Amino acid sequence: MSQLHRAQKGSRHLLMGNEAIVRGALEAGVNVAAGYPGTPSSEIIETLAELATELNLYVEWSVNEKVALEVAAAASFAGLNALAVMKQPGLNVAADFLMQLSATGTRGPMVLIAADDPGALSSVNEGESRPYAKLMEIPLLEPGDFQEAMDMTRWAFELSGAIGNVVLLRTVTRLSHASGNVVFHELPERESVAQFQYAAGGGPLLSLPVKARHEQQQEKLRQAVALFEDSPFNTYSGPDNPEALIITSSICTLYSREAVEILGLTERVGILKLGTTWPLPNKLVERHLARADKILIVEEVRPFLEDEIKALAAESAARIGIKSFYGKRQGLMSSVGEMNPDKVVQALSHVLGLPLPNTESPYEKRVTEIAIEGAPNREGTFCAGCPHRASFWSINTALSMDNRGGFVCGDIGCYSLAATPAGFTTIKTLHSMGSGTGIASGFGKLGQFGMDQPAIAVCGDSTFFHSVLPPLINAIHNQSNLILVVLDNDGTAMTGFQPHPGSPVNAMGGGVVKVDIPAICRALGAEVVLGDPFDVEGTRRTFLKMLERTGVQVLVLRQPCALSPEKKGKKAYDMAVDEQACLGASCGCNRLCTRVFSCPGLVWDEKANHSRIDEVMCTGCGVCASICPVGAIGMKEFA
Amino acid sequence: MLQKGLCVDCGACVGICPYFKSHAGKIAMLFSCNLPQGRCHAHCPKVELDLERITQATFGKPYDGSPLGHYSEIKKARAGARLQGRGRFQNGGSVTALIAFALKSETIAAAALTGSLGLTPVPVLATSEAEVIACAGTKYMAAPSVASVNDYLRSGIGNLGVVGTPCQIAAVAQARLNPLNKPGFRDVVALTIGLFCTWAVDTRSFGALVGDKTDACAVTAMDVPPPPASVMEITTTSASYAIPLDEIRKTIPGGCAICPDMTAELADVSVGAMEGEPTWNTLIIRSARGAALVEQAVRGGYLELADLPLASQENLARGAAGKKKRALLKAREDRLLNVDPASGRSAMLIDDSVVQRILAG
Amino acid sequence: MSAFALKHDPYNLIIAGVGGQGNVMTSRTIGNMLSELGLFVTIGDTFGASQRGGSVMSHLRISVTACYSPQIPKGGAHMVVSMEPSETIRVLRDYGNPAVQVITNTRPLYPIAVIAGRASYPNSAKMEKWIGEISAKTWYLNATAEAMKIGPPALGNVIMAGALAGTGELPLQRDVFASIIATRYPPEQARQNLAAYDFGARYVAAAAI
Repeated sequence: MSQLHRAQKGSRHLLMGNEAIVRGALEAGVNVAAGYPGTPSSEIIETLAELATELNLYVEWSVNEKVALEVAAAASFAGLNALAVMKQPGLNVAADFLMQLSATGTRGPMVLIAADDPGALSSVNEGESRPYAKLMEIPLLEPGDFQEAMDMTRWAFELSGAIGNVVLLRTVTRLSHASGNVVFHELPERESVAQFQYAAGGGPLLSLPVKARHEQQQEKLRQAVALFEDSPFNTYSGPDNPEALIITSSICTLYSREAVEILGLTERVGILKLGTTWPLPNKLVERHLARADKILIVEEVRPFLEDEIKALAAESAARIGIKSFYGKRQGLMSSVGEMNPDKVVQALSHVLGLPLPNTESPYEKRVTEIAIEGAPNREGTFCAGCPHRASFWSINTALSMDNRGGFVCGDIGCYSLAATPAGFTTIKTLHSMGSGTGIASGFGKLGQFGMDQPAIAVCGDSTFFHSVLPPLINAIHNQSNLILVVLDNDGTAMTGFQPHPGSPVNAMGGGVVKVDIPAICRALGAEVVLGDPFDVEGTRRTFLKMLERTGVQVLVLRQPCALSPEKKGKKAYDMAVDEQACLGASCGCNRLCTRVFSCPGLVWDEKANHSRIDEVMCTGCGVCASICPVGAIGMKEFA
Repeated sequence: MLQKGLCVDCGACVGICPYFKSHAGKIAMLFSCNLPQGRCHAHCPKVELDLERITQATFGKPYDGSPLGHYSEIKKARAGARLQGRGRFQNGGSVTALIAFALKSETIAAAALTGSLGLTPVPVLATSEAEVIACAGTKYMAAPSVASVNDYLRSGIGNLGVVGTPCQIAAVAQARLNPLNKPGFRDVVALTIGLFCTWAVDTRSFGALVGDKTDACAVTAMDVPPPPASVMEITTTSASYAIPLDEIRKTIPGGCAICPDMTAELADVSVGAMEGEPTWNTLIIRSARGAALVEQAVRGGYLELADLPLASQENLARGAAGKKKRALLKAREDRLLNVDPASGRSAMLIDDSVVQRILAG
Repeated sequence: MSAFALKHDPYNLIIAGVGGQGNVMTSRTIGNMLSELGLFVTIGDTFGASQRGGSVMSHLRISVTACYSPQIPKGGAHMVVSMEPSETIRVLRDYGNPAVQVITNTRPLYPIAVIAGRASYPNSAKMEKWIGEISAKTWYLNATAEAMKIGPPALGNVIMAGALAGTGELPLQRDVFASIIATRYPPEQARQNLAAYDFGARYVAAAAI
């Protein structure tokens, strides 16, 4: 259980960025928080949920990000302090509502936290949240270290309260999931009362009349910029008149400082670190641009900051002169992938005409040589005992046997890995949450153009609720042909077992209504079949039969995640390879078990010429026993 | 081979390893195997079928390209008094009779046959007369019947009888040679009865064709009447339908077009329809053990023999020669015959002089 | 401000391993032990997708003066503590240098490509020879096997933390470890943790003689 609410003012802690954000929200007096799980944002709602009962908060995992934003907005409308949290792709989901929300404005302070993943360390894209601030015309804040993650979250509530609109705070994986030192401030002591004042005190919340509301919204931005001009989160460090000025924000602040230190340039290069990145405080930026002629902009992914600063510099050119800009536009730095100290060192060396530091040393050469053999690539795979491996085994072999070129439209979750050999490359399309079913619904209508390939969609249980329902209804209504396989592993497994509407508990641990997936599908009019993915033969038979039928069918494959609290550390079966029975390399199976099925719990012992169970990795699910053609893998139930 | 669209769903590769499965009349490779050689290729009748080698191994004679292959006698035959009225036979019921007798006389312990599941043909391993009779009737559809031979081989019990189309009998003949020299191999095939075949159809597309006319599950019989009719007659529990052969031909697997064998030349005995006499079969006795079985079956009252008119023999030979010629021309055109190993794999290997002889015939 | 002088400032420590081995917990424990003393500590973890059997790595930046970035510059590690031999080599490829010191677990965890036969995994003798060749000082120990003598295999992480303390490279104090463990675990588990920590520390101390 988190101790974040106990520690006193002035105490110093080593906190993960997301925990620092939580402390900031607590110091701001947050009342209601809602979100949908997504790396690297999940720990914020998780931690708040742990503290909810004790601090009288309401915290929920909402069905999706749009609903999370709506739930949080309601709290704000009722005068409370509200927080919505999501990863960047979730902001796309919430965007429709956000555009209306930013037009009507808020009542109680409301902060929207979007967690970006430059470098796509745990995402299927490296999409950006920053342009949303501009699109939605709301202020954007970006913390540059762990202390700021806390301080700026707290201030974001203040800012929202001051201007009456939602404030976007953008964090990144390297801040949210890294840890650093934070010194705490005071926690507020106050009672909060919720009341939606739609008569007096602001009237109803509508974006109409549009012209008046839009003007009002832009006035709020001007108020924000005025505050930004004096914000302590915009800082300059370095000589008064540096040879070059780095302008940076977010975690790139730390990379930039380190690069300047590595190159020994603290007396020659200045750093303007911006915490309030949209709209830019133009007077402040103009003042610092005046210091140097060479401007290096350090940011991750798209040249967002670069474009804003260049526009501002063009307006100020008469006063500050013409500048040389270095960044992404002219190709010095890449618009793809995350930043690191080395990349800033290289860019800065280029700007100042310094020789590039490391030409290849003999050590580097040797270590690269050794790594080719000594560090075999470790690609991601399903865990030992993962139900998804078994599910995709059955789906893949059934589709092959069916022989009409059937394929799977994938979705977002651990099971996305089935686009790789880990899941026998069964998934052939992979886009956003719920889109697998929407795409399959479309494919299923192409019969009139001669397409006879069966279209399959897969989704997880949490994804089902998040965004699969509308496309499923679409498929049923439009009489499409598809099989939706719901890989129900009993929780939002990829992000750490957060509950969802199919769970009997909520984020705060309270009992709630469990929504039944098969019952919903039946009520919609789909044919529904239930199955156990660990029964691979049975699942394949069932699936082959379903492939012979038309219409919308749903196969729910139920088996809890191997890492789920109820399974972790407990083996269902004691597995063993019969060394006599395993024919080794001479078996016609060509090592189907280890070469194709490839569970980390089953390894190929080259010396002994047979397969072997890895005791530490094996979870005893028993699936491999049904894969071996000669029955050499045995399973014994524990007494 | 699968990629070239030559698969005839004979089942030779099914059951040997976990990679090949047959479903709804098609063989599927579940995962890529990447072994340089395997029994799947060695047994496949569409991969480097070396007719000289296999004919030598089966009969101790060369492959000479003669229309009907090697044989000792051609007769007409039908099921004997012992079986009359006990089954619904396509023609004379000679295959059912021979297998039933072979089981009864313990010449074989089991028979690999083709049964049906609705319209879908399925491999059956029969050990009783009743099971044999249940499998009577022509299927027309490509069927993975050799798969049950593979299953049987694994069981290690001896004396298996096999009934199959020319491609299936060729696959079995190859398997019997233990081409990859597997240790502990034992030839368990005690009898092969070949079925005349001009082509077969693909189950799924044929099923779709039939399904357009009637409920495929209700089909009780199929027949292709002799020319000038050019239809297939489908009989169901309630009615009968005719499907033009032109439509049927579209569902023939590509591998059939290069098949030079109409009368299952590698079998002990080959059986087919007899022109003009629908209650009789044409019977080609090829091997000594085939001849012995036929003789005993006649004596046991299971089979009835009579002389086949010379004109019928000549017609049969003409038809078989025509199929051979068409097949070789097609195989050559598609670069599947005697291909230079450096540029790819052949489906068939036939001595050039024999090829010339067939094409000149 | 801390009263401790560091051998390097920032001191760059990498804790490496395979997803699921307990890297995050180890780096957090070590980070907390140092933060308690007033040092600035930044921990950069890679987890998420790489959690599923992939390579994982935590960068610890330890400083008396400032908060450093969560990514160590290439070739900039002072110490690598690795739970898996091939991960040791992978880390050294990117962050190694002729002066780097290494503590490595010797138990291999085979990548899926090795299990599937698409890649091979060199034998222990070869791996250890290579690791020795590309580090200034190396401690090898089979922490997984030793952990299983004390309790669950995950205690291997704690043995490695103890071993790091045993090198004397960083101001890691046993009583600080004990107090952190006491708040996190019930007595029996806390005892196992201390036993594992002590084993690691003694092992390295003995190797020094």
